Formats: sequence, structure tokens, C-alpha cells
Amino acid sequence: MATSTSRAPDASSALVGSRLYTAVRAFVVLTLTYVIIAGLLGSIPQLSILEETARNLYFHVPMWFSLMGLTVVSAYHSLRFLQTGDLLRDVRAREAARVGMLFGIIGITTGMMWARFTWYEGTNKWWNFDPKQSMAAILLLIYGAYFVLRSGIDIAEKRGRIAAVYNLFAVVTMPFLLYVLPRQMDSLHPGAEGSPTFSQTDLAPAMRWIFYPAVLGFFGLAWWIYTQRVRVAWLEDDARDEPDL
Amino acid sequence: MNWIRGAWAVFRKDLRTELRSRYAVNVLLMFVLSALLLVLFAIGQESVSERVQSALLWIVILFSASIGLGRSFISEEETGTMLLLQLNTRASMVFAGKLLYTLLLVLGLNTVAVLVFLIVLGIPVRSPGLLAATLALGALGLSGATTLLAALIARAARSGPLLPVLLLPLLVPLLLSVVTATRKAILGAGWAAAETELLTLVGFAGATISAATLLFDYVWMD
Repeated sequence: MATSTSRAPDASSALVGSRLYTAVRAFVVLTLTYVIIAGLLGSIPQLSILEETARNLYFHVPMWFSLMGLTVVSAYHSLRFLQTGDLLRDVRAREAARVGMLFGIIGITTGMMWARFTWYEGTNKWWNFDPKQSMAAILLLIYGAYFVLRSGIDIAEKRGRIAAVYNLFAVVTMPFLLYVLPRQMDSLHPGAEGSPTFSQTDLAPAMRWIFYPAVLGFFGLAWWIYTQRVRVAWLEDDARDEPDL
Repeated sequence: MNWIRGAWAVFRKDLRTELRSRYAVNVLLMFVLSALLLVLFAIGQESVSERVQSALLWIVILFSASIGLGRSFISEEETGTMLLLQLNTRASMVFAGKLLYTLLLVLGLNTVAVLVFLIVLGIPVRSPGLLAATLALGALGLSGATTLLAALIARAARSGPLLPVLLLPLLVPLLLSVVTATRKAILGAGWAAAETELLTLVGFAGATISAATLLFDYVWMD
């Protein structure tokens, strides 16, 4: 206990500035409340096939943006861990990957429901091997393997190093999964067949006022959950007799 | 020149110890043969499309590799030769030597698997050159990823069947490209038609081998 009493009692708040945290929390609460109300009740262009399901855009797409953001955060902290050996970096990489998985699972679920009632309407199919859908599933498998690898190693420093190497190696193969291969195959997703992703013309002007706040709001939510999980991990570690961090 | 000689020495050491016991080669051979025969018996007399043929062939190859190739670093740890290698060679030499050795094994594995598969199913290959190029590029990408991950799992306390879990999701880009290229080779589509797949394979092998070379240092040192 000697080590933990020697630290300042609120040392965990040094992980995230409390003012920044309060500001982001207020932003997330306000923005997501607005997005949920305006997203479900606001008017949208009525397009055939899409119809009311277009509202899913506000929820499905930000999930993937947040997953990509968290993937980058996780890889960045893995790289920094290899450079510095600071175990807090490893905790950050782990928690970013975990929150990323959560967003990925929600993204894939919202995507499946959306596809079920638009692209595959009348076929009763939930899964039809759309390239982006399949690649997203593979991405989740890679993160699953990352956590399996972590659970196979007991020494914290070694676990961090080995997991960081796997994480960075996986990031190298991700461009193939997400950008190279989906463009070689037929897809119903916007951005297939060589065109750049999501273009400006895909989005009606009225929807932008909800879509852009939704993206920012879910980014904020991802950051919020991620920083809280890092703090919890820090506190749990600090409560042990011999903290690693 | 010292670096090349060191890497070559690691490769020769691996090859020589392997030729003494022939354990890894035999495991790999028996696994690929039994898996292929199981697949062939399960298909029976049914005629399957070229797409399914190449998919089955590559799934057998990838599973055999992921199960048979995990030993190269675990055996160093078991026999206690890890420390000697760490003292006498640089990390990149060990990686290059092991990569070369794995590549040799994978090339052998691919050749055996393809020959058995083509002969038993009686498939005529219309573009043999394209098929050979696909096998070689596939082997290159496969051995780069396998060598790094084999070093990783040698460090894990509970290694068990960890390699397939780590390796297979990473190899999906490789699998998709080699399956399409193999199908085109069987159909005789020619080099120009398979350009995209071959370029993707070159890119994949280049990206994984460069990343593995950079990352290997962190796995190797204690």
C-alpha cells in the first residue's frame, strides 16, 4: 500500500483533464439527445426502397467512423508502448480496442438490419456477403484474436509488448481488408466499384444538419467511454498491493 | 556481407535440424494429405465449380500452414537455444533465416497440395504459369505473416492452438486473392485477367514482410 498512498489521491484525474471531460460529457449528452429526437422525428427525403430506413444513416455510419477512430487510437498507443514501455499505453491500446469492438458490433447489427429491409427485402436474408460487411466481420475477428492472445500471457510487460506487435501487424493488413479488396468486388455500399467513399451528393442537405452532429456526438461518446474505461483500469490497478502502472 | 552470412547460417541450422528428425515436414505433409483426402472423399463424384475447387484447395493449405508452421520458434524455446541465438546473431538475421526456412516449407507444402489435388480431381490447368506465380506469391505472403506470429506465440505461456486463431483472420485478403487467381488459372484466363489479384498479392506480401521485419525486434529481445 505504500506506493499507492505516496501518490496524490486524485492522480487518476491526471489521465483526463476534468474540465475537458465535463465539456465533452455535456457536448455528448446534448448532441446525442438532439440526434435521437431529430433523427427519428425530422423530415427526410422519401426515396424508393430506402424510405424511412434512411434514418439509420445517423446511427450506422458514425459507428464505423468511431471504430476507425478507435482503431487508429489503439494502434497509436501500441506503437508508443513499444517505444516507451509505459504500461499505461498498453491499457489505453487495450481499452480503445475493446470500445472499438463494441462500436463495431453495434455497427454490424445496425447494418444487418438496414440491409435486411432494403437490399434483401423479400429475400429473408440477413447476410449476403456484401464485401464491406464481410470485411467488418473479419476486423472484429482480428480484435477477438487480439484479446485471446492477451489472455495467453501472464506477465504484464511481456503481454503488452506481444499484444502491441500483433495489433500493429494487424493494422498493416487492414487497408487490404477495408480499401483494396472491397473495391475489387461488387457491392451495394456507397463507395464501391472504385468511386471514393461516401460522396457529397449521397447526402440530402437537410440530413447533413443531423448527420454531422451525429458523427461528432458518437466520436465524443466513444472518447467518453474509452477514457472512463482507462480510468477504471487505472483505479483497479492502483487498488492492488503492487500496482503495475 | 556479415548479415547475409548470419541469416544464411540460421537458415542452414534450421534446415539441418529439420532434416535430422523430419518432424515438422512430416507433420505438415501428413496433415495436408489427410485434409485433402477428407475433402476429396466428402466431395465424392460430384463435379464442383472452379471457384469451389480453388477455395477448398486454399483452405486446406492455409489450415495446414497455420497448424504445421508454429513450431519454428517454440522449438528454440524448448531446447533452450533461444539465448544462444540472441547472443550470437542480430534479430533481423534470425528473422530472415527463419523466413527463408518457412518459405521453403510453404513452397513444398503448396506444391504437394496442388499436385495431389489436381491429379486426384483430374483438373486440367489451362494457365500453368499463372498458377505457379499464384502459388509462389501466396507462399511469400503466407510465410511472412506466419514467421512473425510463430515468434509471437512462442512468447505466450499458453500457446496451444493459438496460431490459427491469430493467423487466419489476417490472411483473409491473401485467401480471397489467391482463390480468384487460382480459379482464373484453372479456367485459362491468362496473365492480364489476373493482374489485380497478382498485384494485391505482391502488395500483401510486401506490406506484411516489411511490417514483420520492423516488429520482429520487439518480439525477439527480452
